[in-house]
Amino acid sequence: MFNLKYKDDLFKFILSVFVFAVVVIFLIAVIVIIYYSYPSISRYGITFLWKKEWNPPAEIFGALTFLAGTFLVTFLALIFAVPLSLGTGIFLQEYCPLFLKGIFTVIIEMLAGIPSVVFGVWGVLTVVPWIRESVEPFFSRHFSGVPFLKVEENIGYGVLAASIIVAFMILPIIASITKDSLSSVPKLAKDGALAMGATKLDVIKDVSMPYALNGIYGGIILGFGRAIGETIATVLLIGNQAIIPKSLFSVGYTISSMLANTFTFAVISPIYASAEVELALILLLISLIVNIVGRNILNRVIGGRFSRSQFGGG
Amino acid sequence: MENQQYDQSFPVDKGYLIRKKIYNNLAFLFAIGAFLIGAFPVFHIIYKAIAIGYKYLNWNFISTLPTGFPIGAEGGILNAIIGDVYLVVIASVLAIPLGIGTGLYLSLFGKKRTNYFLRLLNELMIGIPSIVWGIVGFYIFSTNAGFGFHLGFSALAGGLTLGFIMTPIVVLLTEQAVNQIPASYIEGALALGATKFQATKSVILKAALGGIFIGILLGVMNIIGQTAPLLFTNYYNTGLPTGVTGPGGAVGDMAMLIFIYIHEPSRILHYKAEAASVVLLLFIFLLDLGLRLINYLVKKFIL
Repeated sequence: MFNLKYKDDLFKFILSVFVFAVVVIFLIAVIVIIYYSYPSISRYGITFLWKKEWNPPAEIFGALTFLAGTFLVTFLALIFAVPLSLGTGIFLQEYCPLFLKGIFTVIIEMLAGIPSVVFGVWGVLTVVPWIRESVEPFFSRHFSGVPFLKVEENIGYGVLAASIIVAFMILPIIASITKDSLSSVPKLAKDGALAMGATKLDVIKDVSMPYALNGIYGGIILGFGRAIGETIATVLLIGNQAIIPKSLFSVGYTISSMLANTFTFAVISPIYASAEVELALILLLISLIVNIVGRNILNRVIGGRFSRSQFGGG
Repeated sequence: MENQQYDQSFPVDKGYLIRKKIYNNLAFLFAIGAFLIGAFPVFHIIYKAIAIGYKYLNWNFISTLPTGFPIGAEGGILNAIIGDVYLVVIASVLAIPLGIGTGLYLSLFGKKRTNYFLRLLNELMIGIPSIVWGIVGFYIFSTNAGFGFHLGFSALAGGLTLGFIMTPIVVLLTEQAVNQIPASYIEGALALGATKFQATKSVILKAALGGIFIGILLGVMNIIGQTAPLLFTNYYNTGLPTGVTGPGGAVGDMAMLIFIYIHEPSRILHYKAEAASVVLLLFIFLLDLGLRLINYLVKKFIL
């Protein structure tokens, strides 16, 4: 008997070592980022966040340009993606005929599996020419007076192209979570509403959506977290110029594309590298907060089930 | 009074009913339109990649190294395919034991509170942007100053960084796979006097094998498309690696190759990037197909 008990303790101990290793990986990631960004934090303080100038030779660093680009791209992507993904989720769960539901769900999951570099290539060779040749001339003809829609250079690259691609990348996350949340609505409630003479729209609007709304918020929050760290597609599409974008069509720079382009040069100068790591720290903190909130909501609502679409190719 | 058929307070106006019908149909059109727009890129990306890249898609493309000027203008992408094998193997060596071990701990020994924190930890790890993992990997493995392993830009550094990304996926899917096994299987084994180790070895691992395999395939599918972490840990090599660390240890990578080719101001390289995307998408969809097949078989024969 002693023998068996001993064996089980050994098994538990070995597994605990693996658990410990995973925890250590997470802690090391956080510690490395904080440790290497500390020189910049202590030198520039909180003003790092709203200073505009980024001048490595003079060692003046301010993150505002990149923060503005990041948040503009993220919010535009959410504005494009949320209605589309809600519609997609509602279609898949409520309208789609049963024999097509499986294959249509697979198509949306395939969208989640496409790597971001392939999205980027598609953006460069398809979306950018489309914006350059159709969208921008249209807007410069009809909306030239509107401040946020002014076309400065007709090049196609810019905030709009990046946010369209990012929107397509977060669409499957929100859509699949919407679908899962809607599928947890009790059938009895929906049938009751139908029996009272409600139309399908009424059922979705007044019965299903209020029930599923918490889960959908969770999905949108996770989509936000994914969009804010999106790197390769934005590097290829946003135009990479350190200016605060003033219009939908102007070029800009996001934190992640900044890091991807310049981090390898930055490591030569410790303070420059440290400022860049502080940018990464901002991304890390946002992603941690967003994920804690989003996962807590989702675990409560759909019981922490994992839909495939949540692991895209980054 | 007798002619009054409806309660006056109930709005029986024809327009209202018609409006309701129209809104209902508009909602349907919106939903199906949203789905069509969402599904459009899948087909257009595949179509565009094949339409542009088809003339390079032949056996030569996947069996020769890139040559010519600019490099890649002639030859194929063998370096990237070999490099991906290196990276996936190295990442798996780290992620599979860690992931399965932690997943088993979660579902066998975990108390409620530890489970909550461990699961949240892994979910947070999945949420960390891949570019941040790249910087972490750079400071742990690649840098040649300060702390770290000083491996240089090499397959080992890149592969282990990708392993960090793959680990939480394997953890969560392993836990999910074990939790899917009917409790009676495990309880039966324990009731017969098996220790948890014996139960794991002879019952749980067998029943959960399909689910665990799905987790591994999902992880591989994820890291095969990662570019951002490799920017700072492995970058790219147009030839074959001579080792896994230090100078000459860098490997080519499919996603990195596409990223570099699309940056070059050369039409041929843009077309080759699309051709390489076809190959990458083919890998990913094959993995996806395998995954769905396993899922089907597990549902049919094991659970």
